[in-house]
Amino acid sequence: MIETALKALLILIYATFVGFMFMGIIRIVTARIHRRVGPPIYQPILDTIKLLSKKSNITHGLIYDFGVIYALGATILALMFIPLGSIGILRAYGDLILITFLLEIPMLGIMFAAMSSGNPYAGIGAQRALLTLLAIQVPLGFAIVALAEFYGTFSTYEIVMAQQTMGWSIIHLPLLLAAIAYDIVLQAMFGKEPFDIMIAPGEISLGPMVEFGGKHMGILQIQHAIALFAETLFFANIFLGGAVVTAFSSPILNTIASLAILLVKQIAVLLVATFMGAIFPRFTIDQAAKFYWKWPTIIAALGAILASL
Amino acid sequence: MNELALVIFAPLIAGALAWIIDVKGIREILGVLGAGVSLGYTALLYQKTGEGLSFVLNLGVFKLTFALNTLNWFFLGIGALVGFSAILALVSTGRDSYEWLFALMSLSGVLGVFLANDLMTFFIFWEIMTFASFMMVLHYNRAASLKYFLLSVFGAYAMLIALGMIYAKLGTFDFAQIQQAMYKEAYAAAFGADTVFSKGESALIYLLFLIAFGVKAGMFPLHVWAPDAYSETNQSYTAMFSGVLSKAGVYGLVMLYILMGTRLAIEIGGFRSTTKFGYIIAFLGGLTIIVGGLLAALQEDIRKLFAYSSISQIGYILVGIGVGTALSMQAALFHALSHALFKGLFFLIVATIVYRTGKTTFADMGGLAEKMPFTFAMAFVAILSLAGIPPLVGFASKWVLFEAVISQNLPILGGMVFFGSAIGFVYLIRFTYAVWFGQRPTDLDDTKDAPLPMAIAMAILALFNVVLGIAPGLVARELNKIFGKEVIGGNLFILDLGFGRYNALAILIYLIVGIIIAGIIYFLGAKVRKVPVTDTYQSANPVTMEYNLTIRRNFFLPLKEALAFWLRISFDKLYRDIGAWVEDLAEVLRNFIYNGNTQSYAWYLAIVLLILALWGV
Repeated sequence: MIETALKALLILIYATFVGFMFMGIIRIVTARIHRRVGPPIYQPILDTIKLLSKKSNITHGLIYDFGVIYALGATILALMFIPLGSIGILRAYGDLILITFLLEIPMLGIMFAAMSSGNPYAGIGAQRALLTLLAIQVPLGFAIVALAEFYGTFSTYEIVMAQQTMGWSIIHLPLLLAAIAYDIVLQAMFGKEPFDIMIAPGEISLGPMVEFGGKHMGILQIQHAIALFAETLFFANIFLGGAVVTAFSSPILNTIASLAILLVKQIAVLLVATFMGAIFPRFTIDQAAKFYWKWPTIIAALGAILASL
Repeated sequence: MNELALVIFAPLIAGALAWIIDVKGIREILGVLGAGVSLGYTALLYQKTGEGLSFVLNLGVFKLTFALNTLNWFFLGIGALVGFSAILALVSTGRDSYEWLFALMSLSGVLGVFLANDLMTFFIFWEIMTFASFMMVLHYNRAASLKYFLLSVFGAYAMLIALGMIYAKLGTFDFAQIQQAMYKEAYAAAFGADTVFSKGESALIYLLFLIAFGVKAGMFPLHVWAPDAYSETNQSYTAMFSGVLSKAGVYGLVMLYILMGTRLAIEIGGFRSTTKFGYIIAFLGGLTIIVGGLLAALQEDIRKLFAYSSISQIGYILVGIGVGTALSMQAALFHALSHALFKGLFFLIVATIVYRTGKTTFADMGGLAEKMPFTFAMAFVAILSLAGIPPLVGFASKWVLFEAVISQNLPILGGMVFFGSAIGFVYLIRFTYAVWFGQRPTDLDDTKDAPLPMAIAMAILALFNVVLGIAPGLVARELNKIFGKEVIGGNLFILDLGFGRYNALAILIYLIVGIIIAGIIYFLGAKVRKVPVTDTYQSANPVTMEYNLTIRRNFFLPLKEALAFWLRISFDKLYRDIGAWVEDLAEVLRNFIYNGNTQSYAWYLAIVLLILALWGV
């Protein structure tokens, strides 16, 4: 019991820290692409500490506070179900469909909080976020279907174990197609250009985030960091083979090695997203919907059909 | 007197008494008592599901037979529970004794359908149910009720023809005998022996039943009556209308499987890992999910939104039934239960909003969460349940369904159900935004919270949503009992399908832990100051209450534009055109045949005589 709690706490701290580092990496890499120096890698942590220590905070009511707390709580919940090397806590219940849903529900909290502020920018941001969610769900669904049909199981951990013997998912053609579609979907899940339509800085004043300040924004920064970690981890687990190292005799070394391998894979996923984000301008929302319902859907559906044969 | 008779006829008798006595106060007590007796005896009958219980009502010409088994107890439970809640809410919103009579009559009808043990009884109660619900809609809107009536009659007579065909060949209406005969037929067909029904006939019976049950369930493309009928009636009643009456269609399809599933599977053949006839149901179900969901997102009326949403959710059940494995059947039954629970709750919430504000369109509402906190809390539960947020019952059933469909290697259906879950999210947030949050129009400033009977009714359903969500094993155990084997394993909190596992308790615990951690961070920060809705960022401009800050109209305009091509194709319009065409034809026939010219009538006589002469009479 205490051991589980301790493990959960360690995972949480590790995920938060690495998530913040990821946010820093995104900023540095983007800066280097623009030939700027950019902020130090720990800049997002400083930002968050500043936000959390604001003296004056505003609220628009109970839901405004609760939505933000719920968003972070749900992100933590999602994190616990994704296998992290060999140390997932609830990896026996890390079901593909469950995790896909769990990664979406923090959005519900953010939407609720943003909408309860009554700000019109938040309203339009919520509308765009929902339509993006609707658009990505089709290729995402087919990608998940392809995975489940290829491996015949819904357990993420079993999929990781299967990849230890069969090789990474992306070397099989049906799953390669699914991975490509999922990677395009990730761009929208991270909120990076060209699909950062829901936030759209400069266009609709940050959309749902427009009214948050102080500790609300700070909590959402933490949420964003953990979500970034969880989403890259999930992708690395299902498509890039995850990591279960058993080469060393010491379990601690094994754990560290698998975390390091996972980290490399996660950063690779992140860099692809950052590169794409840095060179593409933003789509409008109807373009995004039409795009997602066309190419990624066709690719993922093809993958799903091939996987089911 | 037999308990089954009490369950079925108590609401009808109570409704009739309420109608005759018609004293405000007494009729409410009578009505609730009638529904309560049904609910109470349904709960008591749970003990007897194992040994079975039957009841025969001899009407001279034919017998009405009823029997209880594990399958129909499940539906009976849904019907009695949601029916009772709806009747309880009717105490507040019921306008006159007319509504009490027909609301209770339709409850009797649907419970009779669930308990019927032969096709004739099934059909009679089916018609009672349809008639009573038609009368409920007629009380509010003539056009909507006629549309509902026409499609229902179309469905009912399709069923009657099928009934006639079965009776003509087999000479019985009894479920058990038909089932046995159909099994024999299936074996005969498999070994190439002679069968009583030809291949074409059994396919025709299947098609007729599909139309009959599809109309009632709201299956695409027969769903067009539902948005009008669900919205143009007493909204408390709609909780039952959508929650229970649509389950009659679902129950019918399950019965179709039981009666002639093997026969059809052998006769019509297989498709991938399922049967062809099942795949048709499942594919139509998938289309129902998508069409219902997309149209729900584009509605501007709160009642219409939930009507389409109801259609969309029924699509899941149809997919589950269509795929046809034991697991997917269980998933469909599970989703039938959770659909009744959360959709019943939703329509009670809508009833409360309509009752308290008198408004139905999104454009007139906003910011009600502060004025109706209890109703909002109930809506919160319903939203989480319908959108499929663990650990509520909506997620558990959807999860089982997803896994059941995908594990059968049916990728297209898998994609369809996935899309359905996202679209559910989308239209619910639109409802949340426009009704509960944002700026409140000044004429809603003195809105009160839900009246007591409605509050109790909502609380009952919300409680079931939460409890069955956290302990989905309770439902799984009942479902396993229906199938007589352990299809869904696990215990009270865990569902174990073999290739996937779901632990509702762990989700609850970790969600609470997560929220506590987030809460600690929140409370460590400085205090918050409450600001009014007008104290907001509007490109750094001052705003007052004269500005409309909340987007209430056409919220999903980009979606509408992206789907412009598909939205031009309307089945509603098609049926209207067919209706207009039939009316024109009738007019033409009237003008040409009854033309008022005596000589033409003489000619008709001459032609008939000529035909008879040619015939050799």
